[in-house]
Amino acid sequence: MNDIIERLGDLLTARFGVAPADFSAEATLGDLDLDSLGLVEFELVAEKEFGIKISDEEISPQNTVSDLADLIVSKAAAR
Amino acid sequence: MNWSRFDVAVTGIGMLTPAGIGVNTSWANILAGKSLAAPDPALAGLPVDFSCRVPGFDAETVLGPKLAWKTDRYTQLAMAAAREAVADAGLDPSTWDGARVGVVIGNALGGTPTFEAQHNVFRDEGPDEVSPLTIPMMMTSMAAGYVAMDLSATGPNLVTVTACASGGTAIGIARELLRCGKCDVVLAGGSEASVTPLIASTFAQMKALSRRTEEPDRASRPFDADRNGFVLGEGSAMLVLERTADARARSAPVRAHLSGFGASADAFHATKPDPAGVGVQQAIEMALADAGLCPDEIDHVNAHGTSTQLNDAAEASMLRRVLGERPAVTSVKGVTGHSLGGAGAIEAACTVLSVQHGVVPPTANLEHQGPDIDIDVVAGAPREMPIANAISNSFGFGGQNAVLVVTAAAAT
Repeated sequence: MNDIIERLGDLLTARFGVAPADFSAEATLGDLDLDSLGLVEFELVAEKEFGIKISDEEISPQNTVSDLADLIVSKAAAR
Repeated sequence: MNWSRFDVAVTGIGMLTPAGIGVNTSWANILAGKSLAAPDPALAGLPVDFSCRVPGFDAETVLGPKLAWKTDRYTQLAMAAAREAVADAGLDPSTWDGARVGVVIGNALGGTPTFEAQHNVFRDEGPDEVSPLTIPMMMTSMAAGYVAMDLSATGPNLVTVTACASGGTAIGIARELLRCGKCDVVLAGGSEASVTPLIASTFAQMKALSRRTEEPDRASRPFDADRNGFVLGEGSAMLVLERTADARARSAPVRAHLSGFGASADAFHATKPDPAGVGVQQAIEMALADAGLCPDEIDHVNAHGTSTQLNDAAEASMLRRVLGERPAVTSVKGVTGHSLGGAGAIEAACTVLSVQHGVVPPTANLEHQGPDIDIDVVAGAPREMPIANAISNSFGFGGQNAVLVVTAAAAT
């Protein structure tokens, strides 16, 4: 799980302009300035990074990084 | 109310051009008169493989990563130029009445780097992989939209699209917004960053670009006998415009006055200038009438001067006929190349600086003035001279013309 959170941190700072200081497992995607279009972009990037498909209904700006990591782990396990 | 040519003031300038980042660097390099065209790795292997880029611009550093990842380069350049202009004017967006602040930005092609990259994704990976940010990054409205968000400017927000006249048109429209009282401050200028393989190839196919690939730094040579096309450039300039009375009331230094604006259409051909210059003459006469000036009161012309055979011959012939042999003419495109929708604003900024400092930059690479160029073109070194009134010409594909008049600041 920590590995996934670390990879999410790398991804969000490299591709979505998130400041490393703002990133934490408890931060919501909204806190990190990902709006609705940013979330769709994130779905595309996450698909390549983690090899899983996330749909629009599965994430919202209220979700935390930790929620997202849970989702990725469960999707990867279900492959 | 009766307006005089002293009623609209330029109180701030921002510039990011191939001559450098910031007004001081850009102006110093433009005065140095050396062409800055260079081989461009993004155009490697193409028939024309050189360009004029804004050197060393890093949007993440200048604007921060949160803005950089979701904006196209033309928007980034405009935001950086707007910030510099507002700071130069001594205005503070955290305290101004944003509803009275307008933004007018000229742009010709929008976010073509984004468009080309996403078209490649569409073609290679399919429709489900295309970025949802493609439209908000590529639309021509976005530079003005982001400048408004960045600087809390909620007044009228417009983009003018008149091809290579877009930046000049934007500044002219801004003058109108101040005169009709709909704004107290207008951030006006232009921006373009379309140095991409597709756009460069398209202009090359039109035979509009110089193909002097062996000597890119000699390619942009406005009014020279050996000119053979323009050099594709990028960049942005923004001006802060206010009514002079408002600027004086807050003790803001006035760089110069934006004293006239004229616009017209050639109604002649999609891309060729009318060799008789009827449309351009009409725009100059409209601008002079707006400023209340006669042709013999114009000391300096910052020409459109693209370095193509057709533009420079038609423009020179028209200038000679309309303004006579008196004005000292220059084209900064010899140094900067042609930044399309940004050019009119960059050149308006240069015209303000020329009037303010009493100096005309030389036209780079002007070694042998063309036999068809019967005007006084400044070459070799900057020419120091008092300038009471100057005009800046911008002409676009589509036949759109914009002419601005700049007048030296009145003694207070």
